[in-house]
Amino acid sequence: MSPAQSPELVIDGFPPRRARWVQLATSADHKDLGRILIAGALGFLFMAVVELLLMRLQLAVPENTFMPPVTFNRMLSLYGATAIFLFALPLALGFFYYVAPLQIGARGTALPRLGQLGTWLFAGGATVLYTTFLFTPPEAGVNPLPPLSGIAFIGNNGVDAWLAACGLATLGFLLIAVDLVATLRRLRAPGMAWRRLPVFSWAAAISAWLTIAIGAVMLAAIAMLMIDRNFDGVFFAGDAGGAPLLWQHLSWIFYTGAYMLILVFALGAIAEIVPALARKPLFNRNAVIGSLAAIAALGTLAWMQNMYTAPIGLGWMYFAMIMSLALIVPFGLVLFNLIATLSGGAIQMRAPLLFAAGAIVAIVIGLVSEMNHAMVAAGWRLQHTTDSTAATHFALVGGAVFGGFAALHWWFPKMTGRKMGETLARFSFWTMAIGLLVAFVPLFFAGSSHDQVIDAYEFFSGEGLAAYNLIATVGAFVLAAGIFMTFANAILSREGGRPAGHDAWGGDSLEWFALSPPEPHNFDLLPDVRSARPMRDIRAAVAHRSAREEQPARERQPVA
Amino acid sequence: MSPHSPAIDQIDTLLWIGFVAAVILGVAAIGGLLLALGRNRAARGAEPRQVTGGVGIQLRVGGALGVFAVALLVLSIVFTDRAREAPATGPAGLPAKGGEPLTIEATGQQWLWRYQYPNEAFSYYRLVVPVDTEVRLDLVSTDVVHTWDVPDLAAKADAVPGKTHEVVFRADEEGTYLGRAATLSGQAYAQMRTAVEVVSPQEYEAFLETRKDDIQAAQDRVVKLIEDGEVP
Repeated sequence: MSPAQSPELVIDGFPPRRARWVQLATSADHKDLGRILIAGALGFLFMAVVELLLMRLQLAVPENTFMPPVTFNRMLSLYGATAIFLFALPLALGFFYYVAPLQIGARGTALPRLGQLGTWLFAGGATVLYTTFLFTPPEAGVNPLPPLSGIAFIGNNGVDAWLAACGLATLGFLLIAVDLVATLRRLRAPGMAWRRLPVFSWAAAISAWLTIAIGAVMLAAIAMLMIDRNFDGVFFAGDAGGAPLLWQHLSWIFYTGAYMLILVFALGAIAEIVPALARKPLFNRNAVIGSLAAIAALGTLAWMQNMYTAPIGLGWMYFAMIMSLALIVPFGLVLFNLIATLSGGAIQMRAPLLFAAGAIVAIVIGLVSEMNHAMVAAGWRLQHTTDSTAATHFALVGGAVFGGFAALHWWFPKMTGRKMGETLARFSFWTMAIGLLVAFVPLFFAGSSHDQVIDAYEFFSGEGLAAYNLIATVGAFVLAAGIFMTFANAILSREGGRPAGHDAWGGDSLEWFALSPPEPHNFDLLPDVRSARPMRDIRAAVAHRSAREEQPARERQPVA
Repeated sequence: MSPHSPAIDQIDTLLWIGFVAAVILGVAAIGGLLLALGRNRAARGAEPRQVTGGVGIQLRVGGALGVFAVALLVLSIVFTDRAREAPATGPAGLPAKGGEPLTIEATGQQWLWRYQYPNEAFSYYRLVVPVDTEVRLDLVSTDVVHTWDVPDLAAKADAVPGKTHEVVFRADEEGTYLGRAATLSGQAYAQMRTAVEVVSPQEYEAFLETRKDDIQAAQDRVVKLIEDGEVP
């Protein structure tokens, strides 16, 4: 598409004005859909936090009878599905879908109806999961392993609802990812070569391809388990020629890929925030982009790291360990480049950078602990204990909650035209940081030195677990209080925040060239992109021109 | 918890190596980040240096991290292989019969562990094994996936329906070691626990005999009750 031949805009009068909700519900605009995904994801973060708190209350004291075992298992299953399928993934995809087309200078997405369908499939999946409160919620755990999730052991509809909900949401993510891939390939502004693509848009491309790959695998697994449950299938029936381990492989490919997607999203957002608020270019763009791609590929290939206790060959475990330990290099390079970008900068410690720093610290704690789980014999000892609960939560709360909140504070001015309150953001951040440490550090000890097992609805007195669990419960409430403060901040700032202007932070990518909030068509005028920092070029050109034009005028002004 | 088998000794060493490696990487990353954040505030008034890095420094940093990863990989493989070595029966143990290690079948079932001994005696919850003897557990499951987890004696291992999963261990000291199931298996999952009682070979033999006699006696009594018509 050459810019010369296409007219800027053709308008035959204004479309009729419709109610805001009608417009949102029928919109195929990536910004509207992105906002639905992000708002929905944050709503389900609230639900996930409530479910976590209820489980922590049950685990506050030994042999607690606060909730019956089945209720706990249902809470656990809802929590896992909510946190991954309804919070972390739609949050990441929502930000990609909102921001990436703006960053590449596109006037929309390539396949907008696909994105619209994807968004509403996600909404449909979420509805299915939460209507189970009216009958029976799923109870087979975070990852519903057959045979337990088979019809013989859980005969009610809970697991079917889980499968339908997660299947619909996964299909939705896949469609959104297809739209993202097509948009990033076809609709880049003139001059926006791949080598000039902003890091966050690269993260979007990587995550979109990853979503297509792992989403297809999960959909296959879900379809097979549905057939097993409802149509006498034997895909996962161990005694009838099927293989229970097949589900483990397929589902862990998805969960491990999703884990990596969340980290790629967080690191991609952080790589936008750090250079802008340190007033320096990213130390080495190509190394960061290459590392993000390596994280997605190697991390997903390490799926069997979750199956060290399963009866699989030792060689497979070593394969997973090699992939897992190889991740030290790309993760280390991303962190090195972020730190090198900060060094010698002029850092403004604003809310997005604060959350970004918190995200990095939490992700590092989580990943160095996961590293121990990856070392096969150590994994035999640490996996299936609360040590793995703690490691996973540090990495994923770090990525999806701290990283997600960094992205929220960063792009909130673009979405609403207003900044979120700094003071409340600081209170929220420090409360969350303290809460995260208090909630999950004790679980490291409970798991690694006292072998507290995962997913259990109770633990027993006299095994040295009481103090750890009580502290963890208190910490979970502190963490929740911190998260709710950011919710309050976002709600209050939508109308009452300080006006941020169109170029809120001095970022280098093109979304800051659009209005805040952007017009439906994103840009009236597209600049020629001549470097990886187009917004910086635009600012320089504007300053240059105004200097040239104002110079004589100023000379003629009388001196007061 | 403390190690009471040769395999767990190896796993403990690897855990310490991993812990040290995690501390090194964690302190380097978090320390570097906090230093960079603390020392380069805009308030100090310095103009930010508009520098970027070349490929050389990336290769050097990546290479150093790669060497670290390879070292961890080699150590992991060494200690994992040692932890998997079949421990030979010691002098205080029960001598192996016909070159085969003492084999016990452990069945995971909702929500109990059942142990079947060579002489067809069986027990629930409590596994009795002789000290200083190579024991092979054949893990099987009759319903869902269960994970056999006795951290003082052996690595965790799954009992999966349709498969047999071997766990080999040698307990070094007499005593009782608690264990549990470690994969969500349904409603009474948290109560699915086990205890391994390590005793002298003589006590083990005696236990097997009594156990077998008790089971036989119970069975005879049930059969008699049925024959007498006292039970329908």
